[in-house]
Amino acid sequence: MRKLTLGALAVSIIVMLSGCASATTQTQETPVTQETQQSPEAAASDTGSEPKILRAAASFAYPSLDVHKEYYGWYTSIYGVSETLFHLNEYSEAVPKLAEEMTSEGETWTITLNEKAAFSNGTPLTADMVKRNLERAAKVNSRFAYLGNFEIAAVDEHTLTITTPEVYPTLKNDLASPELGIMDLDATTDFDHAPICTGPFVIDSFVPEGDVSVVKNTAYWNGDVQLDGATFYYMQEDEPKLLAMQSGEIDCYNSVSSAALEIYQSEPENYDVVSIPGARLQFYILNERTLGEEVRAAVNLTVDKEAIASYQAGTVSAANGPFAESTAYGQVSIPATDPEAAESLLAAAGYVKGEDGFYAKDGEKLTLSIAYYAARSLDTVALLMQEQLRSVGIDSELRVEEDPDATYIANGDADIALYCMIADKSGDPLYFINSTLAEGAILNCGGFEDSTCQEMIETLYYETDPQKRANLANSIVQIAVDDNAFGYVGLFNNITVLRKGVSGFAENVPYDFYGIDQNTRIDG
Amino acid sequence: MTLLALTFVVFGLMYLAPGDPAEKRLLSQGIAVTREMLTAERERLGLFRPFLTRFGEWLFAVLRGDLGVSFKDDLPVLPKLLAALQNTAILAGASLALSLLVAFPLSILCAYRKGRLSDHVIGLFSFLGNSLPSFLLSVLLMYFLCIRIDLFPVIATGDFSGLILPVLSLAIPMTGRFIRLFRAELLLQLSMEYVTGLRNRGLKERYIIRNILHNALGHLLVLIGLQIGSLFSGSVVIETIFRWPGIGKLVMDAITARDYPVIQGFVLLIGAIYLLINQLTDVVMKKLDPRIEVRYD
Repeated sequence: MRKLTLGALAVSIIVMLSGCASATTQTQETPVTQETQQSPEAAASDTGSEPKILRAAASFAYPSLDVHKEYYGWYTSIYGVSETLFHLNEYSEAVPKLAEEMTSEGETWTITLNEKAAFSNGTPLTADMVKRNLERAAKVNSRFAYLGNFEIAAVDEHTLTITTPEVYPTLKNDLASPELGIMDLDATTDFDHAPICTGPFVIDSFVPEGDVSVVKNTAYWNGDVQLDGATFYYMQEDEPKLLAMQSGEIDCYNSVSSAALEIYQSEPENYDVVSIPGARLQFYILNERTLGEEVRAAVNLTVDKEAIASYQAGTVSAANGPFAESTAYGQVSIPATDPEAAESLLAAAGYVKGEDGFYAKDGEKLTLSIAYYAARSLDTVALLMQEQLRSVGIDSELRVEEDPDATYIANGDADIALYCMIADKSGDPLYFINSTLAEGAILNCGGFEDSTCQEMIETLYYETDPQKRANLANSIVQIAVDDNAFGYVGLFNNITVLRKGVSGFAENVPYDFYGIDQNTRIDG
Repeated sequence: MTLLALTFVVFGLMYLAPGDPAEKRLLSQGIAVTREMLTAERERLGLFRPFLTRFGEWLFAVLRGDLGVSFKDDLPVLPKLLAALQNTAILAGASLALSLLVAFPLSILCAYRKGRLSDHVIGLFSFLGNSLPSFLLSVLLMYFLCIRIDLFPVIATGDFSGLILPVLSLAIPMTGRFIRLFRAELLLQLSMEYVTGLRNRGLKERYIIRNILHNALGHLLVLIGLQIGSLFSGSVVIETIFRWPGIGKLVMDAITARDYPVIQGFVLLIGAIYLLINQLTDVVMKKLDPRIEVRYD
């Protein structure tokens, strides 16, 4: 019986492993042949110089390059392969890319395409192709399913109209989302491995959930491309990235850790480090159902964002509001940290400091519950906040949850709920405001309500003028700040390190979904 | 039966464990999850069906060679697991071979020179190798061999040179463990009367060593078998640092995403490998020492 079992097990494992050959080939490089693709060596021999190949580290890798699915479009955008109708610049403004202009009249937007725009196979971009791309994205990506409710029509070769059920002011920003990159749906035969797009680079080889190589699109519609190609190495850990930079095996990467940042900054002759406040926000929600106005105000006056940012060693910038101050909608004012004022507020509200050094009221000690999850340095923020609150006499208990959305966000049962999210997804404030400040919003778990604020949010749904939208957003956030409903702690910095002579790796843009483009260069 | 029981227990634990794969999947797509969306996704993934029905369906599919599709990306589980398992098998096999190659002679040396300088030096290095965390060891190896000596690239490609650093990172702690364990077993054998008898009869030392190894081999095989199992399931850190697309990393990602089909498939495969290794060890032990079979029978 033992021999029989052994035999059966051995045979089944051998049979399964014998399938490995075919399974493994699926993870091997997928070489891509496209007419306008040119090997880096050939490209270099044209100019008689060494091929300029950028080598970068990528922290994430995905099984597919289908621009419209999941978040894969972020990566085709980073690789310089796919482009969108509009592009977000360093001031978070949506500027034309494949589109030339976009105008609105009521519920109808009219988009004029750039007549020069063409795919890497030379096929010109048409309004009908854009229409079909948007329709496909609506079908395959649930985050863009709403596009299915829009009426999209190709008016002529280079003009299309999009009619929305209601006035939809953020459509231009939505069209800058990398998942709405445009592919040649007729010529692409393998969406997962070799999408044909309009970008300055085309896929050379692709390992699902592994490394990616691109080469120059010699027929790029928008002018010269500086690089001959690029390779993105999938490296999750910080230490190998640092060592690979030091050994000269990679030229740049972003999301630099604080330990590595210190090393790069100590060698300015070898590396350029660019750090700008990004779009990812650390913040906390103060529970208005369990905390009085004075306590909330005292918490906000006590939490020292500069100290918290400083502790996070350059990876975070202290936040005023939810958006970077470089944006038009990031202009709010907050009171300065003032622990003495916090204590005065508590005393005025009837709290008395006990012998243990902590405030209590009517014999009941003031103990706040701080809920967090162990990601995006929220554990560090929670600990520092606890220390800072303790220093003024407010006791607190930390509570860690694996899944905040299913626990303290859903239940609203924490006094202070820490959270981290991308506040500015596409150069517009509505997404964050609607997710955190609107009545019934998922992240409005602290019970913030304000009728004026709600009215302004409803106006923001339909306002199309960018300056008026920014003014509205500033007013809305200011109400929440004045009400001490939230505390905006820090904005993660987008930190990019580049070897001397390398530039144009989207180091000045506060979005994670840009990387190389036609202007990325290696000098020297 | 063992595999059936194992998969049933793991299926049950996943059923009872907190965390919702439907919610994880929706959140990973950046969607603000509504109750309706959650219900539809749970329905699609079949999470509402009774536990026994789900387990039964999974079991029948397995008998047809189908481990289902991943909750994370809708790709078939079996090719994913097999590709990753093959990569881990290469890594584990090479590490084991290197460890044995180094540990055998060194442990014999230590046993014969017990208490002398060479024993202490080897003991110290085996202790250090065994106690260094694999993450730290990997980074140290990278730093010295790639940066200071410039012997290997940090970014390994799929060729032989790419295998050396991860193999060293896995082999060094295992060699440390083997030396300590083998040394103890050899010392036990050396203290036995049959060794004194052999010496008194004037046998050359190399024949005595052969006898000792023959007698110790059974226990040594058990120790090696246990290490092989842990190699398959415990190399996640090495795989992540050295960008080795093995099974440890695949399963860690699956656990984070509550990707039940991948976890269940992993348990089945690793369980089968463990059983196979145990059975093989038993067979070899019986061949080496027929008394074991007599006792069993």
